[in-house]
Parts: sequence; structure tokens; C-alpha cells
Amino acid sequence: MKYLIVLSMLVGSLFAQNGLTDVAPVNNQLYIKECGSCHFAYQPGLLPASSWNKIMSNLANHYNNDASISPANLQTLTKYLNDNSAEKNMQYKRSNKIVSSLASGQIPDSISTTPYIARKHSEIKKSLISQPEVKGLFNCIACHKTADKGLYGERDINIPHYGKWED
Amino acid sequence: MKILLLTALLLNLSFAGVIDEYLNSLKQEALKENPNFKAFDAKRGEEIFTSKHMGKKGKEISCTSCHGTDLSKSGENVFTAKTIEPLSPKANPKRFTDVAETEKWLKRNFNDVYNREGTALEKGDVITYIISKD
Repeated sequence: MKYLIVLSMLVGSLFAQNGLTDVAPVNNQLYIKECGSCHFAYQPGLLPASSWNKIMSNLANHYNNDASISPANLQTLTKYLNDNSAEKNMQYKRSNKIVSSLASGQIPDSISTTPYIARKHSEIKKSLISQPEVKGLFNCIACHKTADKGLYGERDINIPHYGKWED
Repeated sequence: MKILLLTALLLNLSFAGVIDEYLNSLKQEALKENPNFKAFDAKRGEEIFTSKHMGKKGKEISCTSCHGTDLSKSGENVFTAKTIEPLSPKANPKRFTDVAETEKWLKRNFNDVYNREGTALEKGDVITYIISKD
């Protein structure tokens, strides 16, 4: 019994109070394959649909890389991103904060340039972000060790050559 | 064990079939571009793979910037740090088993490294180089 209680506390501590992760985890294998082969497979709930549509309409020039995919996959993945975008996931803490931080009509080009995410990372030394183990703010999982589970809390941060981060 | 062997055999067969067929179609295309075309060449492919060019990002890179020089080992995306599975089909039997996938990456990566798409000759040469490596 004691064991069960400890276990449930442990599991509970992984999640926010409403029992949800920070953002809804990725649950699409095609997305993981097509997008996750070059970079961290960002949860769709990290950007509004307007941003995803902007990104997906120009994959031949994707942050100065050619990331073009087949028309069929483009359609499937654009739909997945739209169906699961941040403003449709406001019950998730970070999706909510990202959407709430946007100015009216703002369509950010990337997750790291949304006001909330930019602010959350503003105190980190530039050299820690550009170091080879990280390379840029786009590499969530380099420091957020549980980012792939949709968990971005402070307890799971470990910055290479720095360690734990405390606000 | 039997299943494993069978899977390995099937993957192997499908690799040989798929890539030979694709190389053959590239050969037809190369012949159209140059009637004197004889055969794809691993040596020319190596030059394509290892030489540096001004890429799409405005930075001098080669294919080896991400794939490394030992194709039996994993590489790392030079821009995102994401791990890339080995390119050699001997080390990674999933490679070159799907023409659409092969074409997708050739198009993207020629654009990324050369800032243009590859010709049939270049694509055939570079594949010939990659599959010739251990």
C-alpha cells in the first residue's frame, strides 16, 4: 500500500495539477518520421495554427533548408498540426501561455520567437545556447530532458556545461 | 531466429531490387543527357559526397558535414545536432529500400549542399559511392 502511494505521488508529480502534461505529447508517427528526422519533433501545441500554416506553406525553404515533402504527406501533416495547434489546446499550461502572450494578429515564425518562449529563455547566457551540444533554442531536448513527453518543467532542465536551471 | 534471418534476407533482396531499379532509371536519364554515358562511378560519387560547397544556408558544407566520413556510423545534423542513422545500407538495411524516400533526400540534400538539385549522373554516382562503402 505504502508502495502504491509513493508510486502514485511520483507519477502525480510528473504532471501539472490538472493531470495534464505541459503540452499535449506528439501522437503521430508520420510527423515523427518526416519532421523528427532533422530536428526535435515539436508538439503541435507549441504554436498557433496560423504559424504552422505559414511554416508548412514554405517547406522548400525551411529556415534555409530544403524540407520539402510529398503533397500527400504535406496535406496529412498540415491537418495534424492544425487539429492540435496551441489555441485548440488551451487546457494545456504551456499552449495557453504561448497563445496568451501573442499580440493580436501576430503570426510567429518559430516557437522560440513567441513572446512567452522568448521571455522564458531571455536570461540564459548566449554561449550556453550556441554551444555545440545545444546549437540553438530550437533544440528543446538538449536541455529539457523530458521535452519529448511534453514536459518542460524546471525540475527536468539540465543545461550542458551549466546544470540545473533555477528561475 | 528463423524470422530474423528471413527478415534480413527480405530486406536485403528488397534493397538490391529497389536500388538497382532506381539506378537503372537514372542511367536511362543520364543517357538522354549524354549519349556517351557509360556507367556510374564511385570515385566521382566520392568527390560529390566529400567536396565542400556554398550551401543553401550560406555556409560552406559537404554531405560529410552531417553524414560523416564513415558511412557505417551515425552522423549528426550540423545545424540541429539531431542524430542521423548510418547511410550505408550494409550498416543500416532500411536505406535505399524506398525510391520515394531516396529521391526526397537526394533532392533536399543536393539543395542544402549545392544549392541546386542533382543531375541524374550526379545522383547515380553518389548512390554508387554510398552503396560501395562498407
